[in-house]
Amino acid sequence: MKPTTDITVTKSTRISNFSPSVRFIRTVDLIGQWAAPILIVFVLLFAAIVAPAFYLPTNLKTILIQVAVLGIVAIGQTLVLLVRSLDLSVSAVLALGAVIVVQTQAGGPIWISIIEAFFIAAIIGAANGLLITKRQVPPFVATFGMLVFIQGARLAYTKGQASGTVPELLRAISFKQVGPFPAAMLVWVVVNIIVLFLLQKTHYGRWIYAVGGNPAASRYAGIPVDTVIIIVHVICSMFAMLGGLLLSGYIGYVDLRLGADYNTNSIASAIIGGTTFTGGRGNLYGTAAGAILLIILLNIVVVLGLPVHWQYVVQGCVLVLAVALQGFRQFLLSK
Amino acid sequence: MVMSLLNTRDTTNSKTRSVRLLRNNASIILIYTIILIVIGIAFFVNENFRSPSNLINILRQSIILGLIAIGQSMIALTGGLDMSVAQVARIVGLTVASIFAISGSNPTLIMPLIILGLLIGGTIGLLNGILVTRTHANPFIITLGIASILRGVNLAISSTPIRGIPKPYLHIYDYKIGIVPLNVLVMILVWILVYIFTTRTRNGRALFAVGGSERVARLSGINYNKTLIMAYIICSIFAAMTGLFLLSRTGVGDPSAAEGMDFQSIVAVALGGISLYGGKGSIIGTMGGVLLLATLSNVFNLLQVNIYYQQLFLGLIVLITVAAYKSPRSS
Repeated sequence: MKPTTDITVTKSTRISNFSPSVRFIRTVDLIGQWAAPILIVFVLLFAAIVAPAFYLPTNLKTILIQVAVLGIVAIGQTLVLLVRSLDLSVSAVLALGAVIVVQTQAGGPIWISIIEAFFIAAIIGAANGLLITKRQVPPFVATFGMLVFIQGARLAYTKGQASGTVPELLRAISFKQVGPFPAAMLVWVVVNIIVLFLLQKTHYGRWIYAVGGNPAASRYAGIPVDTVIIIVHVICSMFAMLGGLLLSGYIGYVDLRLGADYNTNSIASAIIGGTTFTGGRGNLYGTAAGAILLIILLNIVVVLGLPVHWQYVVQGCVLVLAVALQGFRQFLLSK
Repeated sequence: MVMSLLNTRDTTNSKTRSVRLLRNNASIILIYTIILIVIGIAFFVNENFRSPSNLINILRQSIILGLIAIGQSMIALTGGLDMSVAQVARIVGLTVASIFAISGSNPTLIMPLIILGLLIGGTIGLLNGILVTRTHANPFIITLGIASILRGVNLAISSTPIRGIPKPYLHIYDYKIGIVPLNVLVMILVWILVYIFTTRTRNGRALFAVGGSERVARLSGINYNKTLIMAYIICSIFAAMTGLFLLSRTGVGDPSAAEGMDFQSIVAVALGGISLYGGKGSIIGTMGGVLLLATLSNVFNLLQVNIYYQQLFLGLIVLITVAAYKSPRSS
């Protein structure tokens, strides 16, 4: 039998024609892990020279609150990325939380509507997790479908005009001064400590890393892989809800575009902080640094007096560079 | 010799053959059945739907989504998704419109600007392709980042509608050859070309191989990087064409043009049965998905359903579609 095509091994058809030195791999790995903290230092120096107004106390307080909100959402996103998944519905959940609380505050105590909000978030997270594990839908498609669905539901419910006053309690947990810090900051730190404990001291936390590192091996090792992924998605949605409540408390009203950028920003924070989208690699310190870096950059755009839409360019560039860096690092490490 | 043997076996056992044909094309048959059912119901429920002009209208409106979706299908075949298509369509529309506005709606610029628009699309596609192949990163996140950058650039170009499009350019969308509108013709031509490309040419078949398995594709002598970059360039050029048609339809450079198209194109692709894991599916299915979405949107508008409920319904369709197919490949 005659072969239909001649197979010639050229540069492009070889599986790998690239064999980097160990030192190169180690350098890229270190850069990947420390990119966010290093960049923060540079950006802070840059701000000191170019935009001294950045260091005004009121501006710093704004930054702290924004970091707290993004940081909390990004923790959830990090957990999801650790198990090789992705959640694009965080922005919708975030916006939904604010709407639910504002709408239900008309009657009944605030606690009930907050519990209600977290309950709905948990259901959304569980639905995401079930679609991804039981139906094997690609995570970004499942969660993106969920995003459109939730947005549609929200707009159908509010008829496109959601606004209202935010309950006093929410104002307090996000805006109130506790010592030198806004309360939202403390919420962020507490959440960080809890999740750090979960990741490092409990076997569930180790399972998260195991599932992300090698799902097949984890399954053979007896880890309930599907359950781990579903629970991680539930946690992520609930953190997004918490972020939404803090954000509406900070902004003080609810508008339709609330939280729309949090998908891109939370993924960017996690990835620039050293989490790879192939799972199993990453930690919360990096994510926290990523969130701080991103918010500082976005804030500098405003302080410099540039039009606000340059924020989109900044967050896009950070995302692309971070993904490119981590993708390359992962590629090198897998060799 | 072997072929003829196979053939005779197939014809003698025609029942299994037709069953196989049915099974292989189940998703395509399903989507077209659903379209027929929707059209059938709409025919009886609403008399406006029945008018020939409305039916042609559905076809004409589907070109906007159709072009983007066909590009998206090629990316989906390679196992990725392009989230920047809507922003590419928008940046092309805005750039062309602003140059028209600066030049005082000079009609001689039409042809150069169309070429410029396609070039912009091609360049962004090249950038996407290079980033995806060189960094080994998830194409979805890479294009999401590019989309964010383009969104900012678009708002920098203009945040208000740009007027001053020359009259002849506006006629492109309404132009008819005989009774067939030009854009319907363009769309049919594009579909046929892409169908031939993906089923009959070496480069087109390479898309499936690349989506199936990077390793196997490379071992079979397929230039993996080149194939992927080509797919991203073609996809962005189709998105640019969409932007040009949209500009002709609306008559102003619209900073919110093609809103939601990235998602709708993915819906059309998924509805049409192309596996979102790559490597499997057909352009014909995507066409079905586009026609279904266009028909549904037309029916909703005729029935005056609130736009927000339409969005809710779209999300519901997508969740049901993706939940309905189970990928054979597991982690």
